[in-house]
Amino acid sequence: MNRRHFLLGSLAASSACSRDRRPRLNVFNWSAYIAPDTVPKFEAEFGVRVRYGIYESNEEMLARVMGGNSGWDIVFPTGYIVKPLLANGLLAPIQRALLPNLAQLEPRFQHPDWDPALNWSVPYMVTAAGIAYNRKLDPPPTSWADMWNPRLRGRMTMLDDPFDTMGAALKKLGFSVNATDPSQLDRARAEAISQKPLLRAYLNAEARDQLVSGDVLAAHMWNTTAQQAMDSSKDVGFVYPAEGYAVYPDASVILRESKRGELAHQFINFLLRPDIAAANALTARTTTTNAGARRILPPDFRDNPTLYPGPDVVARGEWAITLDPVTQRLRDRLWTEIKAA
Amino acid sequence: MNRLRAWFLAPTWAANIALFLAPLAIILGYSFLTRGVYGGITPPWTGESYQRLIDPIYLAILWRSFWVAGASTALCLLLGFPLALFISRAGRHKNFYLGLVMLPFWTSFLVRTYAWMFLLRDTGLVNTFLQKLGIIHSPLPLLYNDGAVILGLVYGYLPFTVLPLYATLERLDRTLLEAAADLGAKPWAALIRITIPLSAPGIRAGAILVFIPCLGAYLTPDLLGGGKSVMIGNLIQNQFTTARDWPFGSAVSLVLMAIVMVLLFVVARGQGEDLL
Amino acid sequence: MKPRGTGLALYAIGAYLFLHLPLLILSLFSFNSSRFTVWEGFSLRWYSAALHDTQLTESALNSLIIAVVATLVSTVLGTLCAYGLWKRNSRPLAGSLYLSLVTPEIVTGISLLAFYQWIFRFLRVQLGMHTVILAHVSFSIAYVVIVVIARLRTVDATLEEAALDLGANEWQAFRYVTLPAILPGVIAAALLAFTVSFDDYVITSLVAGVDSETLPMVIYAIARRGVNPIVNAISALIVIGFGSLVLISERLRTT
Repeated sequence: MNRRHFLLGSLAASSACSRDRRPRLNVFNWSAYIAPDTVPKFEAEFGVRVRYGIYESNEEMLARVMGGNSGWDIVFPTGYIVKPLLANGLLAPIQRALLPNLAQLEPRFQHPDWDPALNWSVPYMVTAAGIAYNRKLDPPPTSWADMWNPRLRGRMTMLDDPFDTMGAALKKLGFSVNATDPSQLDRARAEAISQKPLLRAYLNAEARDQLVSGDVLAAHMWNTTAQQAMDSSKDVGFVYPAEGYAVYPDASVILRESKRGELAHQFINFLLRPDIAAANALTARTTTTNAGARRILPPDFRDNPTLYPGPDVVARGEWAITLDPVTQRLRDRLWTEIKAA
Repeated sequence: MNRLRAWFLAPTWAANIALFLAPLAIILGYSFLTRGVYGGITPPWTGESYQRLIDPIYLAILWRSFWVAGASTALCLLLGFPLALFISRAGRHKNFYLGLVMLPFWTSFLVRTYAWMFLLRDTGLVNTFLQKLGIIHSPLPLLYNDGAVILGLVYGYLPFTVLPLYATLERLDRTLLEAAADLGAKPWAALIRITIPLSAPGIRAGAILVFIPCLGAYLTPDLLGGGKSVMIGNLIQNQFTTARDWPFGSAVSLVLMAIVMVLLFVVARGQGEDLL
Repeated sequence: MKPRGTGLALYAIGAYLFLHLPLLILSLFSFNSSRFTVWEGFSLRWYSAALHDTQLTESALNSLIIAVVATLVSTVLGTLCAYGLWKRNSRPLAGSLYLSLVTPEIVTGISLLAFYQWIFRFLRVQLGMHTVILAHVSFSIAYVVIVVIARLRTVDATLEEAALDLGANEWQAFRYVTLPAILPGVIAAALLAFTVSFDDYVITSLVAGVDSETLPMVIYAIARRGVNPIVNAISALIVIGFGSLVLISERLRTT
C-alpha cells in the first residue's frame, strides 16, 4: 500500500468515526452552580449532548460573549447584566409559550426589575455577598469594616469582581452599592486601594479551598461558595455584614447567535422543573427562585440561615441594579485603577 | 535559483504577514479608537488611550515590570554564570550536563510555575519543613508577592542564560588564562578581569533572552503573584478580557512592543551579529 | 585550578538540585494518598482521577490534535523558509521572524484575538480549533527556522553545487541532497514545535473557542483554585512525556 492510499484511507476512517451526531447544546454557567446529574438527566431525556462550560465572573463571561460569535447558546448573567447584553443586541427573545414551567417561579421573580415581562431572561438562582471566615478569628468579623483590619494582613481575600469589591467599599462608607455619584465612587476606590496591603489576592470561588485549608482567614465570598466551604469544614462561618450587602439574582438567557433556540428553551424549561431546580439549589448550595422547588426542599435546608436568612438580615440586603452607561464606564475605569495599584 | 527560493519563502511570508504583522497593525488601529460602552470598539479616533498611560498608576506598573524583570535577569545571570562555567570545563560530559539544564525547561512552563505554588503556599512543603525544624512557628507568606514572582521567573528562564553563556565560555581561549596564571594572577583575578569581560556577548544575549519575556510575563505573576503583583502582561490581559477596554489594552501592548524593539536595537548594535 | 574546581562542582550540584527538585517533589506528591502536603501513603488515585476526568481527557486530545497539525504545517513552512534564508538571507523576513519570537506572548495573543474578531465581521466563522491551530503555526515557524538553519550551517554547500553540476535541478538538489542531510534537524525542530504548541497557555486561552479547550487551559483553571493533587499527577505525566520527546530530539539533533 503506498503513501497516498494510506492517507486517503485514514481520512476516510477518521470521518467515519466522527464526533457524536446528536444535537449539541452549549451552556456556559457559573462554576459549581448546578447539580451534577442535571445535565446527564437532560441529555438522557432529550437525547442530546450538552457541552457545559464554567466561568468565575460576569466579566469573564462577557469577554467571551461580547463578540457575538462565542459559540455558546445559553449563559447565566447576573440580573444587572441583562440590560447591557440586550442593549448590545446579544440576546434572543424568550418565547414564553415554550416554557410552561415559568409558572413555577416565585411571584416576585415573575416580574423582576431588570425584565418585568420576562421577555429576555428567566431567573435562575439568587446569590448574595458577605464575609466567610475561619472560626479561629476571635472576635469574628461582623461588618465590612472588619475586612480592613490589620490582623488579617495576608490572610484575607476579596472578590475579583468590580461590582462586589467596590460595593463592599461603598457599604463601608455608608453608601449604596448602586451609587452613581462620582465623588462617592472615588472615595470607594481610595478605600479599596487602602485595603490592598492587607489583601492576599482577589479571588472568587477559588478562595473556597484556601479558606477550608486554613490558608485564608477571612474571604469576601458569595453565600453559595461560603456554604460549600462550610460543608467541607466546621471551622468556617459566614456573616452578612452589618452595613448591608448586595443581592444578585441571576438568570438564564439565550444568545442571539445560537442556532439551537428550541433546544435552548427546552433546557431552560427543564431547569424550571421543581425537582430539578430543587436538586440544583441543594447541591450547589444556593437560594432558588423557584417556588415549586422551595416547597420540596428539605426543611433544614429551607431554613439555612446562610442561604435563606431571616427577615432582619434580608432587610439589610440591597439588590444590584443596572447602572447607566456613563457610571458603568467610570466604574470599569476605577476598577482597573484598583487592580493596578 | 531565485524562483525556487521565492516559492520557499512565500508561504512563511504569507503566514507571517497574515498572522503576525496584520494583527499588530490591527491593534495599532484599535489603540486610537474609543471603547464602546460595554466593550468593543467604536469611533471616534483619539489618542486618549495613550494619554491615560501617563497616569502614575500605570507608570508604576511599568516600573514594577522593569524591576521584576531586571531582578530576575540579574539573578539568572548570577546563578547561570557559574553553572555555565562548570559545564564548559566538564570535558567529555558537556552535552550531558547541558541537557540536564535544558530538560526541566522543555517540560511545561505552566507545570513549573505550579510547582512553586505547591511548594510555597502556607501549608506547602517549604513552610511545613521550616516549621518542623522549629525555625519558624507560623507559616511565612511566601506566595503572592513580588519575591515569589521573581523566583518563578528565575526558575523558568535560568536555562536561557546558561546556554548563551556556555556558548561564549566554551569558545574562550584557554591560553589567555594560562598566560595570566604564568604572570602570577590568582584564579579569582583571572575570572574577574579576563573571563567575565570576554563573555560579554554571552551575557548580553542571555540578558536579552531573559529580560524581554520577563517584562511581558503574564502567567507567572498571575499564578504566583495572586493578582496583586500586576505587571504589564497582566494589565494587557485584563484589558482584553474582564475590563473589555480594547483601545487601552492595545495602547499598552504597543508601548511594550516599542520598549522591546528599542532594547533589541540597542543590543543588536552591541552584538553586531546576525540575529538568526 | 583544583580548589575552585570542587567549589564549582558543588555549586553545580546545588544548581541542578534547584532546577530538578521542584519537579521531582511535585511528581512524588502525585503519589500521595492524601491531598495535603503530609505524606500519607502511596496511591495512584490521582492518576486514576485524572484519566477518568472527561474534561481532562478531551482537552488533552484537543491539545494533541492542535499540536500535531500545527507542527506539521509549521515544520514544512519553517524548513522551506530556513532553506531559502540559508541560500540567501532576507533581512526583512529574518527580522520579522525574530520579532515574532521575542514579542511577548500576551501581545501576540491579543493581537491575534483582535485580528480574528475583526475578520469575523466579514466571514461567518467563530473561534475554534482552526483559530488555535493558526495561532500556533504563527509562533512555531520561527522556532523551526532557527533549529533548521542551525543545522543547515553544518551542511557543506558544495554538495548541492556538485549535484547541480551533475545535472540536477534546484528542487532535486534540495530534495535529494540537502534535505536528507538536515532531516534529523528537521525532526528535532518538529519535536520542538510540538512541545511549544502543546504547552502554550497564554495565546491559546485568548483565541480558543467553545470546543477547543486545551490541556494547559484546564490545568490553569484547576491550579487557579489552589493546589490540587490531580495537577501533580498530570504534571508528572507531562514531564515524563515531554522529557522523552526532548531526549529523542537531542539525540537526533546531534547525530
